[in-house]
Amino acid sequence: MSEKILEVNHLKKSFGENEVLKDIHLNVNIGEVISIIGSSGSGKSTLLRSINLLEKPDGGEIIFKGKNVLSKGYNLPKYRTHLGMVFQSFNLFNNMNALDNIIVGQTTVLKRSHADAKKEANENLKKVGMESFANAKPSQLSGGQKQRIAIARALSMNPDVLLFDEPTSALDPEMVGEVLKTIKELAKVHMTMIIVTHEMEFAREVSDRVIFMDQGVIAEQGPPEQIFENPKEARTREFLQRFLK
Amino acid sequence: MRLVKKKITIAVLLMMLSSIFLFPLSVFGAEKEDMANGEFIVGMEAAYPPFNWTQSDDSNGAVLIQGSNQYANGYDVAVAKDLAKTLDKKLVIVKTAWDGLLPALTSGKIDAIVAGMSPTDERKEQIDFSNNYYTSNLVMMVRSDGDFASAKSIDDFTGAKITAQLGTFHYTVIPQIPEVQQQQAMQNFSAMRVALESAIIDGYVTERPEGVTAQKANSHFKMVEFSQDGGFQTSEEDTAIAVGVRKGDPNLAAINEYLNNFSVDEQNALMDKEIGFQPMSDDEHQAWYRQIAAIAMENADLFIRGAGMTLFISLIGTIVGTLIGLLIGVFRTIPESENKFLAFIYRIISFLVTAYIEIFRGTPMIVQAMVLYYGTALAFGLNLDRTIAALLIVSINTGAYMSEIVRGGIFSVDIGQFEAAQAIGMTHRQTMIKVVLPQVIRNILPATGNEFVINIKDTSVLSVISVSELFFQGSTVSQQNFMYFQTFAIICVIYFVLTFTITRILRFVETKLDGPDAYVPISNQMQVE
Ligand SMILES: Nc1ncnc2c1ncn2[C@@H]1O[C@H](COP(=O)(O)OP(=O)(O)OP(=O)(O)O)[C@@H](O)[C@H]1O
Ligand SMILES: [Mg+2]
Repeated sequence: MSEKILEVNHLKKSFGENEVLKDIHLNVNIGEVISIIGSSGSGKSTLLRSINLLEKPDGGEIIFKGKNVLSKGYNLPKYRTHLGMVFQSFNLFNNMNALDNIIVGQTTVLKRSHADAKKEANENLKKVGMESFANAKPSQLSGGQKQRIAIARALSMNPDVLLFDEPTSALDPEMVGEVLKTIKELAKVHMTMIIVTHEMEFAREVSDRVIFMDQGVIAEQGPPEQIFENPKEARTREFLQRFLK
Repeated sequence: MRLVKKKITIAVLLMMLSSIFLFPLSVFGAEKEDMANGEFIVGMEAAYPPFNWTQSDDSNGAVLIQGSNQYANGYDVAVAKDLAKTLDKKLVIVKTAWDGLLPALTSGKIDAIVAGMSPTDERKEQIDFSNNYYTSNLVMMVRSDGDFASAKSIDDFTGAKITAQLGTFHYTVIPQIPEVQQQQAMQNFSAMRVALESAIIDGYVTERPEGVTAQKANSHFKMVEFSQDGGFQTSEEDTAIAVGVRKGDPNLAAINEYLNNFSVDEQNALMDKEIGFQPMSDDEHQAWYRQIAAIAMENADLFIRGAGMTLFISLIGTIVGTLIGLLIGVFRTIPESENKFLAFIYRIISFLVTAYIEIFRGTPMIVQAMVLYYGTALAFGLNLDRTIAALLIVSINTGAYMSEIVRGGIFSVDIGQFEAAQAIGMTHRQTMIKVVLPQVIRNILPATGNEFVINIKDTSVLSVISVSELFFQGSTVSQQNFMYFQTFAIICVIYFVLTFTITRILRFVETKLDGPDAYVPISNQMQVE
């Protein structure tokens, strides 16, 4: 059993009357790749966003490297540098070219020298196959290219965990492959990742564990073979049937 | 967040300070000594010949107008000089709009009004008057080639379109004409002369000295004088003119003592002499385009200074206004503090900011200028320099508009970029500086340029507080040469050249900033270092 890096206990989140997350428990081990699947509105994005506190949870604990992130006085910006986030809509900074998008977080938050940041950025640009677009503005890039830059940006902060919220949902079909390939490369080198996705083939191939969410709870989790071939819960089966049809 | 604000505030202050020092020292040097002992500061329009007018040299005993390189002369100036001598003080002349004379006196910006002003009961409620120093008759100015040129009595003006200057008793006697079509009162004599020359009105009521002057200056004008019975019924309080001073001014006794020895004969002699001194234009009989060229050449220096002042006020006003807008825009993005006290402070500032924006967007700049310039003097005894007042007004006014524009600019940066910045650990402050503000500035650039162009045009209203910008210089020149169309045609061209050039420059900057649309990937050999 490998070492635990992140632990979510009794996590609750409501938007007004709408209880979106109900008592979530989740453990993440170093080097583990977790996929989260589930129908629209089941709370997958809210769970990811609560983990890096883009949403403020109403209750529960998030324990990162043994410390509760929600306790008073915890250094939030610092914590966020340990979690990289890749959004469905890329969210590149429009005022900067690709390279500067990757450099800015390193220099302002991690206080790296510009030269070090640039070196790191170029390495990650190469990793995602975008080295020849270093000087391109976001408006000059395709969706798939933007998403690969976004991944390079997240990687350059040297995070302990990478969170992906439907990284390919906003892409044209022919660009989905290039982004998934990039994520698979990261899985090979044992990057710890939590990936919300609707790409079932991909989830099955890349994940160590698959979590099925339904109506704000984790309905079932287990190795991909179990979830996709032999689901225990009726709702998992129902979802997969509907989805794979 | 606090740090950003501090930096920006300091930047604003520096900008204001440097602008003050950069400005031609001559203007400020003169105004620095304001209100010092030993000065007798007199306000007049310097545009009501032969009582007072503006000329470009010191001939015939003209006196330098404070804060300008122009000189004032006329009957009032001659009297003011004698009064200053009597009081043993140095005479300082401040060119002040007619409407501004009373507030300037009561707020202490000037010590006396010597401006052909009659001591009416209404005015006496606010200020004190000396004994009379001239008594004049009412006359009618008409076109020399018009239907009324041969009129003899006011009855001959039956049904005519007649006006007079706003706030004078000239206007109140007009209904004595049978079936008269009384027109809106006009702001100043320039306006009435233009209206008369272009046949918008048939005549305006004025006093004899002004009539003699206008008739002499422009052959299109004729002064109609009335006999004792055929003229307007007036009261002495109206036709007399006197020196206005603040209530309880200890100098009044000395002024009256001097005026008591100033006989009617002496008065008339002085008036005749001054009428002879009036600057005449020798350009009158040339073709209009030659006149324009002549006016442009003669006054090039003045117009360039005016244009410079207009640009200076508009530019600084736009820059400071934009900084105010950015400050407020950024302030509004600050997330609500968990700390109760800070949240309370935030709400108070928020309220003040909203009030500021609504008030300044909801009132005309010309009114703001009056309130700020005279109000600060009246309420706090603060004697603002006119140029500084102008900079303040334009900056604050622009700030109110810009803060709404900045708000829109911030909205147009999608929330995803805020979240992405937060997700890599940036604080609100870092997000603003690195990600949001650069985009906001690019977004608001067209609107800022637009504000700049609007400011160039709108600073013309600052002539109400006698700021020597382009429009004010145009008025000054046209009041001397009586060629309104020709002078303002030049002013018009200068305004257009200013705004057009600036619009083009801004377009160019925008396209440069945006760079090319397409991106050519770097070839593999030419890797980024
Ligand atoms: N900011 C918000 N304010 C109010 N309600 C929200 C907000 N964000 C999400 N919700 C609600 O929370 C519920 C869960 O949303 P969430 O985005 O987590 O679903 P999801 O599982 O990611 O769905 P999808 O697959 O469509 O992305 C939905 O009912 C949604 O309407
Ligand atoms: Mg979602």
